[in-house]
Parts: sequence; C-alpha cells; structure tokens
Amino acid sequence: MKFVCLNCETYMNFEKVEKPGEDTLGVFFGCPSCNAKFSMVTNPGETQMVSSLGVKLGGRTVAAEPFEMTRGTLKDEATTGAAQMTAYLNEKVQGGQPAAAVTAVTTATPGEKSGSGCPFSAMVAEMGLTSGGRPGNDGAATTEFAWSADAKEKLDRLPSFVKPMVQSSVEAFARKQGYQTITLQVMDDSKSESSNGMTWTPEAQKRLENIPDFIRPMARKEVERAAKERGMATITAQVMDDVKDKFMKFM
Amino acid sequence: MAVEKNLKAILGKLKYSDDAKVLAQISENTKQVHARMAGIKHKLVVMSGKGGVGKSMTTVNLALAFARQGAKVGLLDVDLNGPCVPRMLGLHGQSLTMGPGGAIPPVGPLGVKVASMDFFLEDASPVRWKGPMDVSPVWLGLMEMNVIREFLADVVWGELDYLLVDLPPGAAADKPPVIAGFIPDLAGAIVVTTPSEVASDVVQKSVTYARDMGIKVLGMVENMSEYRCPSCGEVNELFEGNTEALCEMLDLPLLGRIPFDRKLARTFDKGEPLLDETYPTIQRYQEIAGRIKTLLDYKKVLTDKL
Repeated sequence: MKFVCLNCETYMNFEKVEKPGEDTLGVFFGCPSCNAKFSMVTNPGETQMVSSLGVKLGGRTVAAEPFEMTRGTLKDEATTGAAQMTAYLNEKVQGGQPAAAVTAVTTATPGEKSGSGCPFSAMVAEMGLTSGGRPGNDGAATTEFAWSADAKEKLDRLPSFVKPMVQSSVEAFARKQGYQTITLQVMDDSKSESSNGMTWTPEAQKRLENIPDFIRPMARKEVERAAKERGMATITAQVMDDVKDKFMKFM
Repeated sequence: MAVEKNLKAILGKLKYSDDAKVLAQISENTKQVHARMAGIKHKLVVMSGKGGVGKSMTTVNLALAFARQGAKVGLLDVDLNGPCVPRMLGLHGQSLTMGPGGAIPPVGPLGVKVASMDFFLEDASPVRWKGPMDVSPVWLGLMEMNVIREFLADVVWGELDYLLVDLPPGAAADKPPVIAGFIPDLAGAIVVTTPSEVASDVVQKSVTYARDMGIKVLGMVENMSEYRCPSCGEVNELFEGNTEALCEMLDLPLLGRIPFDRKLARTFDKGEPLLDETYPTIQRYQEIAGRIKTLLDYKKVLTDKL
C-alpha cells in the first residue's frame, strides 16, 4: 500500500510501524517534500490480513522464528482482542447481528430446502443415482449393436460415469471392423487397438512387453508419440531405439 | 477551494517502490521453501477428492514401506484440521524442536521424520486461530495457506530420499491441489480411492483438477478393496465399483489394492503400528512403494528395458 501527497504529487515514504493496541497497527508515512506526516491505523481484520501474509511491514530486522506465524496465531484462549474484533466486525460487517445468525439466514434461500439433510444423499441425487447407488437410468446409451450377454454384463459392471465412454469406444471399434455383435473378444480387441491407429510390428510389440505392466500403457503412448512426430504409422524396432536414445539423453 | 488533482496523471510520473518490503518478503518466503526442500530427492503428495478413503493410512504405510527399503523418509501431515499421522505412528504428544536453524521433526518408527499440526495442539483441541475466522472464510484460507507455507519452509528435513505429504481431502478448486502447487519440484501425486462409485466420481474430479494445475498424477491406490472376516476368514468385496476402469479412463496406472484390514488398522489407532514386513497387507504396501519407485525412475526403466 502506498500513499500519495497530493500537494507535492509524490509518494509518501513508509517510516515505521507501531502497535498502539491489541490487534491494531499504526503505520507511519511522511512526505519527502513537505514533511507532512500521517499514520494509518488498521482495524483487527486488516491487522489479521497482514499477519496472514507472513510478513512484517517495513521488513524484518531479525530473522523469523520457525513457525512464527503459526505459533503466534493459534488461539490459546478467548482474548480481549479477539472479542473486540468480533464486536467490531459484528457492528461494521454484519450490521450488529452475530456472525453465525447472519450466516444461517443467508444460507437458507426462501423457497429452497435448507439442505440440512445428509450431504451424501445430496451427492447421490446430484449424480442421478438411486439411493441404492445405481444410476436412475442404466447409464448406457442406445445402440445399433447387439451385445452378447457376457459382454453386456461386463459393461454393466462399470461405474455409471465410465460406461457411456467405454460403450462408445467399443462400438466405434466394432463399427470400424464391421462387427454387428459385440462379444467379450471384441471388447478386449478394442482395448488393445492403438488409440492413434498405429500398427506395431511383432518385434516392437515383444520389446514393449519387457516394460512392467503397470507402466506399459505410458510407454506405449511415448513410443507412439515419437512415431507420430516422425510421420510414421508403424512402430518398428528402430522407432523404439530412437525413443530409448531420447530418454538416455535425459538420464 | 482545493484544486482537483488527477491521480492517474500523478501516478504516471512516479516510480513505485516497495518500501514496506512486503513483496520482497513474500519472494524471500518462497525462496526459503525452495532452499529448505533442496535436500529432498522425491517429493510426493498423497491426495483424494473424498474424505474417509484411508488417505492418511496409505500415506503412513507408504512412508514405512519406503523406509523398509532403506530410504530416508519424511512425512508431512498438512491436514491442519484433522491431523492424525502422529497418533498413528505413536508420536502424539511429541513436538517439533524449535531452534534458530528451524524446526527439527520428531523421528517415528523406521526412522521416518514427521511434521504435523498435531504437534501444536493440546489433546482433543481443535485448531482455533485468533482473529475473525468465524466471520470470513477468506481470512481462514489465507491463514491456513500461510501455516502450510511455514510447514514447508521451517521444518529441517535434511537429506531425504522421499517426502510424502498427506494432503487434506478436497477435490477441485480447493486447498489440496493448491498446496501441491506450493511444493517445488514435486515428483507427483498418488491418488487414493475406494471402489465405491461415489468416491470414484469425486476422485476423478480431483485428478482432473490436479492435472489442470500441472501436477503429475503418478497413479491410483485402491483402498478398502475387500474385507476379510476376522472370524471365518471369508473375503468379500466392500463396494461394487471398478477402480480399474476408472484408471483406464483417466489413463493412470493402478498402483495396487489394499484390503480393509481391521487388525492392521487397530495397531495404528493405538499408536503401535504393526511393522512386520511379512504381514500380507504390509506386503501390498511394499509392492505399491516399489511401483512408485519404478514410476519415478520411468525414464531409466524405459532405457533399460525397451
């Protein structure tokens, strides 16, 4: 914060900080031209805000103690200063109403339910689920494909928010391959198809399998990205060597 | 009558100087966080969108798992309002040792160093700040963020292989991803979920938000995967969700599954954690720690095995 001396059209200089009372600061400024002085006095909220920034106005003369702010701001008991501050804020901010009472009024919008019920139920309702945790509808999109019973069962076991995406991805694969019925095999094949439409040579595929399974998808993407950058549609052993070289440079 | 002054014109002629030194101190505080954490090789945050999924239990056990592998480990519990790590590790009642060089953390089982808000609180006392926190959540947010900054800047961790940070619950435009953004050179986030659909939905949001913040999400841990009856030994699923599908959709590795284990949980509740590495659930944590290590060494694994 800066102050301007309008007579001299210059910034006033920060001079010092004093603490004239509990939870208040007096910050002194002086005009370098006309030597006018004044002091800005902070209210409890403004004092708190400065404290929360973890800074000392005017800079530190001694290094900060470890956890200086945490230790200095933890409330050990109701202090006079805090009571004054609450009174001040009640008066100035809440129009004389206790803070809690005002909050209660503002949260209960007329015509709406107060929301006093279980937050978990509210979340379930928001997700469009029944109280049993199942989707209000079955979560699946309409389909042009016939799904075998086991494939349908596997799809139905997916979380409701995942299901439409998986269904759409499997059906896109089936459409591309000319299938009319989606079986477990089609679902598995759709998973192994590269999302980039890349083809892997058997040798490259075998080398990929050396990577631990839980990071293999990441490695697959890395290699496919490298191939794409080179304008290649087939992953060969050479592409994998290039990726390996790239990573060795970062080691 | 006073002449009307044009403030914009006046300011246009003046050069601003930060003589209250506020900006300089904020910048200095950031530098201190970087300097303090310079000796830590891998900084990891453990997060979840949903509360009650076992995030602290996972964090503590991963810290112990890394320590069992011979690593030097620190554990920072920044769940300011519900700190439970010290109690789980039998450190409740201890405190940080304040000195001119910073705050020395107490050392728990297997040499794990711990810092937590719990060390500032009396038994059963909640965190209560001086000031108008009940009137404005803005002040509370500002205060809590600065307390967390002090935890990052003031704890003397020394040289560590891993620092695990147990974040408070919260999904999106909330504290957890912002806290993670404070940590310099963060290696990544581990996300904990349960297989319940509701938890998965919230966790999905937290992953998306973390990624928006530029935080690398390393993988997911499914907690409470199943429940083994202590009487008959029968294993049953607790939930009907599908974390594997969630991981696939989010393009994340599933780092492992942890069963609901009443025996293990009880030892942590009592502050006498079971440390036996042959115990089946602890072995699962060991496997997850191994996978995290592999992920952190991802580039090396690729050059070695591709």
